[in-house]
Amino acid sequence: MLSRKKRSGAVRSDQWVLVAPDILNESAQKPTNKTLFVKLRSPSTEKGVLFLFINSGEQICELKAFHEEYRSWFVGQTVQQDGRLLYATPMDPLFLVLYYLIKAYREQEKFQPLEQIVVDEEFPSCNMLLECPRVAESIHHVTEEKEISSKKFYKYSKEKTLAWLKKKVDQTVKVLKSSEICVGAGVQSANFIRTKQESDVKEEDYTCYAHGLISEYLPVDLKEELSKFLELPEPSSPAQEPSSKKRKFSDLPVEAEEDYTKFNSDSKHKKPNSKMTAAQKSLAKVDKSGMKNISSFFSPKSKSKAAK
Amino acid sequence: MDLEDFERDNSRNQLLVSSVPDVCRTEDCCLGIDEAGRGPVLGPMVYGICYFPVSRKKDLVDLKVADSKTLSESEREQLFEKLNAAPDYIGWAVHILSPNVISTSMQQRAKYNLNALSHDTAIGLIQYALDAGVQLTEVFVDTVGPAEKYQEKLKQRFPGLDVTVRPKADSLFPVVSAASICAKVARDRAVKGWKFVEDLGDIDTNYGSGYPNDPKTKEWLARYLDPVFGYPQFVRFSWSTAQTILQSRAAPVIWADDEDAAAGSTGKSSSQPVLSSYFSSQKEDCQPKRHRFFQERLLEPLSDL
Repeated sequence: MLSRKKRSGAVRSDQWVLVAPDILNESAQKPTNKTLFVKLRSPSTEKGVLFLFINSGEQICELKAFHEEYRSWFVGQTVQQDGRLLYATPMDPLFLVLYYLIKAYREQEKFQPLEQIVVDEEFPSCNMLLECPRVAESIHHVTEEKEISSKKFYKYSKEKTLAWLKKKVDQTVKVLKSSEICVGAGVQSANFIRTKQESDVKEEDYTCYAHGLISEYLPVDLKEELSKFLELPEPSSPAQEPSSKKRKFSDLPVEAEEDYTKFNSDSKHKKPNSKMTAAQKSLAKVDKSGMKNISSFFSPKSKSKAAK
Repeated sequence: MDLEDFERDNSRNQLLVSSVPDVCRTEDCCLGIDEAGRGPVLGPMVYGICYFPVSRKKDLVDLKVADSKTLSESEREQLFEKLNAAPDYIGWAVHILSPNVISTSMQQRAKYNLNALSHDTAIGLIQYALDAGVQLTEVFVDTVGPAEKYQEKLKQRFPGLDVTVRPKADSLFPVVSAASICAKVARDRAVKGWKFVEDLGDIDTNYGSGYPNDPKTKEWLARYLDPVFGYPQFVRFSWSTAQTILQSRAAPVIWADDEDAAAGSTGKSSSQPVLSSYFSSQKEDCQPKRHRFFQERLLEPLSDL
């Protein structure tokens, strides 16, 4: 990985900080190679997003921005107001082609040459996908293929696609486990370092999480079909965090976090306290592994109770 | 008074002390506290203490120590030398509070105001004298804020001491006058020998008194304003004089704890969920949300550069 800065003539946002694969560095040294940013349709949102085509599509990277509020960069002797950190990470271009394959299949269920399938008036650059060696290599995972007089024709295959996506999900699950990503339903801080693995996380949680992650690259219909194919339960909302979990520092009226004076004033409180210790001791011995996270009590199931 | 350490790194506070006279460890002593450089927008604030045996109070009167404000700089220097020339019974200590520390204290997330900073510095100096073995019985303090409250605070902190907090104590008690001379001399020397850590080239040090209402000081502040960084560390950023100029002429900087930033473009409701929102079922958003993997890591798709 390397971080590099580029300049253009613009007054503002004339620099960005990018983390990209090493191959980009090699590509920069060979001026004959075509490396460029391309705006393509996101399969899931159908909006235009940027991709990086390195060496004429030898490697295709999606671009993500780490965007936290109130950040700026000091770059050398300059200040960059845009404090985002951009990541170019390799992705499978087949996801981008898949969108067009499904669309073409829906319009007319027939075999077509790829250059007739991958067409987009709004994002004409999508024809660059056809030049990607990886697309040619892997397109058989998601299509039926016919060859007539050395010309190849393709048709979207739902069965093959779902089988291919299941493999993707399995691969993702492996990575989720090895990277120790929290996939449980409880709301957890990404910064909190756990001393031991969560014991109550089921295999299904990993599959759900991986399915959600992969669906970021799939049209909505296919997302649902894949969910059924993987026999996942209906999506329930408690896994979703309440929209705003921002740390707030000073907006709320502040009370002392530990106000021991409340207990000091009243001597009655002292007695039960001393009695408690025995109970507390026994409580401490209880196996806590199966206990619920508090957020689970705020799920819609408990809504009826709360409404009362 | 050796300011070398402070001049080497003037971004931190510095405690400078005289040797403790032997009599002060055996005889009952009085101690005076005063500060110099509370008001200026420039330079450090200095807290000084002076102590000597109660039996030698008269000797101080003979030295003609008087309120430092009524003296010229050279008179103060002379008097300080006199105090310093009597190490057999007079001891002193000064605590130099770097303008950088003042700025960062007052502007940190959990605000630490100038009065609290002053009180704590004074308490620290009394504690220093006690730790050094000075047989303290009486403490005289020039007040910061309401005298009664301050006196109560000090008495609570040092129940064994007879604490007197008075406004204008520096003109009432010779021991406070002596402390004020120590503080004022230290402040003058620190300002005079100020080494700017910033690379400012040939800096014009003609900044006047350093008080906010001094036109020379104002002009200097306007002249050495950097649109990005603001001022050198010599300036107390927390002073409203400095902040007003920064707000009107420097590039706007928004911090996470700025109140107007929190209530900014999105409005308060978005950052602070209503309690009831936790109990109602989630509203189905018409546009699909990003997966929580990306949300939790604040990763967004990039649609433009």
